[in-house]
Amino acid sequence: MTVITRPAPPPVVEEAAEGAVGKRKSRHDALLQVTGQALYGVDMKAPGMLWAKAVRSPYPHARIVRIDPTRALSIPGVACVITARDIPHNRYGFTHQDQRVLADDRVRYVGEAVAVVAAETLRVATEAAKEVVVEYEPLPAVFDPIEAMQPGAPQVHEGGNIAARLHIRDGDVERGFSEAEIIVEEEFRTPFVEHCHLEPHAALAIPGPQGTLTIYSSVQRPFLVASDVAKVLSMPLSHVRVVATSVGGGFGGKNEMTLEPWVGLLALRTGRPVKMVFTREEEFQATTVRHPYRMRYRTGVRRDGTLVARSVEIISDCGAYVSWGASTLAKACIHAAGPYVIPHVKIEGFLVYTNNPVGGAMRGFGVPQVGFAYECHTDSVAAAVGMDPITFRLRNGLRDGCRLPTGQVLERVTLHQTLQRALELAGWERGAVP
Amino acid sequence: MTFHLRFWLNGQEVRTEVEPDETLLWVLRERLNMTGTKVGCEAGDCGACTVLLDGRPVTSCLLLAPKAHGRHVVTIEGLGSPAKLHPLQQAFITYGALQCGFCGPGMLLSAAALLTQNPHPTEREVREAIAGNLCRCTGYQKIVQAILAVSRGEVP
Repeated sequence: MTVITRPAPPPVVEEAAEGAVGKRKSRHDALLQVTGQALYGVDMKAPGMLWAKAVRSPYPHARIVRIDPTRALSIPGVACVITARDIPHNRYGFTHQDQRVLADDRVRYVGEAVAVVAAETLRVATEAAKEVVVEYEPLPAVFDPIEAMQPGAPQVHEGGNIAARLHIRDGDVERGFSEAEIIVEEEFRTPFVEHCHLEPHAALAIPGPQGTLTIYSSVQRPFLVASDVAKVLSMPLSHVRVVATSVGGGFGGKNEMTLEPWVGLLALRTGRPVKMVFTREEEFQATTVRHPYRMRYRTGVRRDGTLVARSVEIISDCGAYVSWGASTLAKACIHAAGPYVIPHVKIEGFLVYTNNPVGGAMRGFGVPQVGFAYECHTDSVAAAVGMDPITFRLRNGLRDGCRLPTGQVLERVTLHQTLQRALELAGWERGAVP
Repeated sequence: MTFHLRFWLNGQEVRTEVEPDETLLWVLRERLNMTGTKVGCEAGDCGACTVLLDGRPVTSCLLLAPKAHGRHVVTIEGLGSPAKLHPLQQAFITYGALQCGFCGPGMLLSAAALLTQNPHPTEREVREAIAGNLCRCTGYQKIVQAILAVSRGEVP
């Protein structure tokens, strides 16, 4: 069993709220925003700037036989083409170092970048990107995580398609089910979701003295990006400065390095500023998405509405690389039992590689998927024992001092008050609410 | 082959050479360095690039620059300045109608066009007027409130 222990939280200091809470405050940058003066990643420019464009895979899974940039390089205005060979340390990732800055031996999803072109204008860069010859040998691909878990499935990476496996156990779930009078079993599925922030990913890299680099990027985590750029380009961290511009929406979609090492390396190679902006097509195809989950919920309950046991199996479609997949799945597992008192719990999570787009961080970080499932499931369990869904929730909801399946003991739980207030505001009348 | 484009931008005459297939959005942002007009989808879906063409809101990503020849274009830079805000700009600040702010320039121009044509719109008319401007942060509620507040003269 995974046990997470934390020191008790400090007491709430009421004074800290003084001056801010309950009062209307304007955004510090609101004046710049409404007058069009706020500078976002897409707005950055520098004299003598080149434009970069990525060459992307049309195949979900293929071996790269050969990349030939000769024709692209012969086009007037093309300054540089980079491929995996130019990346000093072509691996990165948070929990799993499986991601490539540019694909090397294989591409693993449609839209994976294999080369990046820098040219005098965006028009020339876009045309030249089409002239980079990439010879592929298509490989069998897998798009369904259940199929990917079967023996003989196409292997997205060496070492099997199960990228991570997580467990939480509390009590004795088999005994719990044997004590149940009714068992409800359901499966829930959630889809891919693209963040669709209005501003696409955009960055401008400017080479500085002594091999230093400044990268302006529309990014949520400039320090993480700086350390990843330094690592993959084998540069001292002190030589890489990442400046976050105003971010035109992120929602988790700008939570990691994407185009920064490309423009950074191209700027170092050419000695000129290099700018890149993803198209909306690239945003949908080649940036991270919310992981689709398949969730099997099994819950044992007594006729009087007391929950006794719950088992949950979560299968997360990780896509071609792990990115935030293991972290989001961990958070999903921690929350999977829902905000209810259940003595016997078993949660199992599987993170599975497929040739789908890479899953990443997105608002709620794995919790919206399980939240959707356990609340739908709670309605079903309440119906199975013939109880009003509100009465059922108030009866089983977590209170102060309750212990979660992870071992955490809760304090200052306001679930009942929140639910009561929501009922008042919604004008909920049906059923007997205690 | 270049096109000699001449138009009025925020009241000032502008002359510039453009490629005939360049969009007005590109000309504003890249040739004239007016980056207040935003680029979101380049497909006419998101409305971030909205400008006023002879007073009517248009998605400048779909408008070929030569189409603006001889016409009046208003961008966010022409709506008001930090020293002299348009009432809508003040209302967007007061009502917290922006989070990331990227939809703001287009949203404000759509709203300005509405209030010029229809100074006292209903909430439904406000929602219809900004239907072509996507916002991924606010949920629109505060944007609608801000526009209605201006229409009622509640914003200085």
